[in-house]
Amino acid sequence: MKIRLENIVKRFRDNTAVDHFSAVIESGELVTLLGPSGCGKSTMLNMLSGILYPTEGKIYFDDDDVTFVSSEKRGIGLVFQNYALYPHMTVLENICFPLEIQKVPKAERIERAKKMAELVHVDTMLNRKPGQLSGGQQQRVAIARALVKQPRLLLLDEPLSNLDARLRIEMREEIRRIQLETGVTTIFVTHDQEEAMSISDHIILMKLGVLQQFDKPQYLYDQPANCFVADFLGNPPINKVEAKVENGKVILADGQDSGVRLEGHDGEKVWLSFRSESVLYKPESELRAKVILTSVMGKEKITSFDLAGKEVRGYFDSSLDFERGEEVGIGFKKTGVFVFNFESGERYL
Amino acid sequence: MASKSRDTETQINKEPISIGRIIMYIVLLLGAVVMIFPFYWMITGAFKTWTEVNLMPPTLFPENPFNIENFVYAFKTAPFAKYFLNSVLALLGCIVTCSFTTILAAFAFSRLRFPGREFIFSLLLSLMMVPYEMIIITNYRTIVTWKLHNTIWALILPFMSSIFYTYILKGFFDSVPDSLYQAAKVDGCSDWKYLWRVMVPMAKSSLATIILLNSIATWNSFLWPMIATNSKDVRTLPFGLYAFMTEGGQRNERMMAAATIVVLPMIIVFLFARKYIISGMSRGGIKG
Ligand SMILES: Nc1ncnc2c1ncn2[C@@H]1O[C@H](COP(=O)(O)OP(=O)(O)OP(=O)(O)O)[C@@H](O)[C@H]1O
Ligand SMILES: [Mg+2]
Repeated sequence: MKIRLENIVKRFRDNTAVDHFSAVIESGELVTLLGPSGCGKSTMLNMLSGILYPTEGKIYFDDDDVTFVSSEKRGIGLVFQNYALYPHMTVLENICFPLEIQKVPKAERIERAKKMAELVHVDTMLNRKPGQLSGGQQQRVAIARALVKQPRLLLLDEPLSNLDARLRIEMREEIRRIQLETGVTTIFVTHDQEEAMSISDHIILMKLGVLQQFDKPQYLYDQPANCFVADFLGNPPINKVEAKVENGKVILADGQDSGVRLEGHDGEKVWLSFRSESVLYKPESELRAKVILTSVMGKEKITSFDLAGKEVRGYFDSSLDFERGEEVGIGFKKTGVFVFNFESGERYL
Repeated sequence: MASKSRDTETQINKEPISIGRIIMYIVLLLGAVVMIFPFYWMITGAFKTWTEVNLMPPTLFPENPFNIENFVYAFKTAPFAKYFLNSVLALLGCIVTCSFTTILAAFAFSRLRFPGREFIFSLLLSLMMVPYEMIIITNYRTIVTWKLHNTIWALILPFMSSIFYTYILKGFFDSVPDSLYQAAKVDGCSDWKYLWRVMVPMAKSSLATIILLNSIATWNSFLWPMIATNSKDVRTLPFGLYAFMTEGGQRNERMMAAATIVVLPMIIVFLFARKYIISGMSRGGIKG
């Protein structure tokens, strides 16, 4: 099912949680809503599920306007951050519940629930109560319950946030597998960029209720729309130094020429941001940086420098040997280097 | 060091007879005896003969524990069977209706959004401060106006709802996370179905507490049945017992037998349900 969001605004009294949000989510895709805590992800999800209604704007499922349709009638599956399983029912009863509401005959109900339980690998614990399951198992039951009614749309609100690192990776792969197997349009909320990068077809990155960028994961990383997107994605985080544009040259705070060229913004204060993998070792370069620390990570070596008073990091071949305090010449690759407006974060390069 | 401190710890854990514990058990035991003895005295007294009851010093155990003469007498002279039936009818009537209204009201006040909700609820709570004796007068007038005076209905009608139990149950309902409700809504569940399929089963132990408290209160209620009824046909056990005592003269052993008939059902119910009472009390949000 295709979802169209048109200019969605949600205000709580004077606090705007979602601000003029527009997006089109194609049928069968897994789209991640990504953003820092409090940016309006859950609010957005709750409007999609009908738990909240938007203050302004329209929501379309395919061509139907569902903006003010109540949750019961939307035919969606929702997995809550805290799973929200019914504690007095067994796993099987929990999975059956949505079908029971739809008055599916009992035999069919149980058969479908069992199939779904198999899909998420909880078929060996059908008679247990949620309290007797681990967090990961509860989460899988919650997914089964959301999927069993064959929803047109599956919504997951930070479903992995309570799990340990290993189970998280396992579960996100499982979610992706189930999603591909069933082909259900899915919206997945997280504030973990790595999670978002690894399972999504597209990512929507939000900040303070405003959509920042809606793109394929790699594109978000390679071509950030603004400074916030560049800062948010990447591990280690992108390097960021203050700079000024003079005669088309990007000049660092200590007066060094970065070697980056930018037309048309003379006299403006900017951020020069670059990925660690975009730093090059250039002994003859005029741009000098002082080595602070190097640490070897297998084939590569990550080195931190003092560049114009800021600590920045770069990846180098581990055959290179730097002394602490040594001044080295560095340069930048063509990709992974960006210039942003200092205040607004608007991207210039 | 570490192993040493662990040793002393295990010693403490293993040692069954510490002074503090002994004192605690003695105090608890004394408390239990003080609580239980009147019941013991009543039940054993019911099996004694008139001479035995008046013996000095008294016997701790009846000479003939199969002496049911006093019960026979009680059932013969006063219609205790009828009283018993009336009590049971009033009890069932009260519990069924009161539980039903309590569940609905608690759900409405806890979950549904309607204008003036908080205000109405505080108004109801403040009604709890009106003294019982005053309510009785207005209730009596209502019952008489409706010509229900001297019927079983008179015993049920005023107790078909309860602010106090609603308050307790609302406390539990409030503690159920919103997300369960939202999950049920997303699953297509109506409020009505959600209430009966999710909330009520989850509130099992709170409900059990309410039903028990309500049963005890109804079973023991005296003042209202005395006022609202005056024929033997609709009397309940406590008032029947009172009448039996005033009519039957100072025969202690017979009174004991009658009292046993009145109290025993509640004791049995309590023994079976005490687990629920305690867990419901500690979980249902009643404090103090
Ligand atoms: N019911 C509400 N009343 C008032 N403000 C609210 C309400 N719900 C959310 N907000 C506000 O809206 C903003 C967005 O909240 P939301 O829960 O959508 O954030 P989120 O992106 O899901 O964050 P997190 O990652 O921490 O879950 C926050 O500033 C929050 O304080
Ligand atoms: Mg959230």
